[in-house]
Amino acid sequence: MTLDSSAVREGDELPILHLRPDLGQVIRYCALQWAFPPFFYDAEAAKAYGMPGTLVPGPLKVGLLYRAVDEWLGDAGWVCQVRAAHRRPDLTNRPIDIAGRVARVYDENGARRADLELAIINEQGEHSVRGFAVVEFTRPG
Amino acid sequence: MPDASLLTDEVRAMVGEETPMGRVRVTPKAYRRALEVYTGRIPRSAPAPGEPVPGYVLAALDSEADTPAMPSLLPNSLLISNEWQFERPLRMGEEFESVYSVVAINERFGGRFGYSIDFRAEVIFKDPHGNPVARSGRTMTQYSAAEARDGGGT
Repeated sequence: MTLDSSAVREGDELPILHLRPDLGQVIRYCALQWAFPPFFYDAEAAKAYGMPGTLVPGPLKVGLLYRAVDEWLGDAGWVCQVRAAHRRPDLTNRPIDIAGRVARVYDENGARRADLELAIINEQGEHSVRGFAVVEFTRPG
Repeated sequence: MPDASLLTDEVRAMVGEETPMGRVRVTPKAYRRALEVYTGRIPRSAPAPGEPVPGYVLAALDSEADTPAMPSLLPNSLLISNEWQFERPLRMGEEFESVYSVVAINERFGGRFGYSIDFRAEVIFKDPHGNPVARSGRTMTQYSAAEARDGGGT
């Protein structure tokens, strides 16, 4: 369904994006960055760091926030900014939800923009990431 | 807590220094790999040259060069935030000059980590005219687990 940007209002909620980042996704992310801290893919190494299992990398999670916003936005605009404040680790193979709401709609430099508040919520209902994004409602030409 | 600030003149002088990281290009391979990582989808084709690509392709450009290491002032470190900023959408085939920069170094006293030091750094992607098009930033905090509340772990 295409987003009608003219109907976007403060308080609107983004559809929840249900995800379960698995070890394969994490390893592909490590390969993309060519960075392989063992606690991302080796359960024993993660335990040595005091974690109950392998972790979803923080920089991967900022991209997942971007994806949630991008999928909501579709062709109605583009993502200008996305920020992730990491509050607690997320483990691989565990469900997470990405939630968001429109915090503010405004005009800037002749363009209609919106600020979004975002969160990654783990299966305990805790916010593991608090996020923020800015979108602009113009088609990238 | 240390007797004196660990932010020496040498450390403070790092703020604002720019380190050229070389040229990077938005390629079909970068697009395909980033799309697979972030969405799980394997695209059959890539956008044509000049067409917009999703911003998470930035993660594939980040990897073209190793960023300089931060000085290790305290024994433990933790990633506390990431940020991507775009002046406009990225486009297939574009080439950027990437530049690493330390944006801020701040001390914090008290709180969960006790005495800690935040390092905020970013990679700036500039077009051929030197205009920033995108930034990929991260903030790391250094702390001593022995002095942090509950070890500082999350």
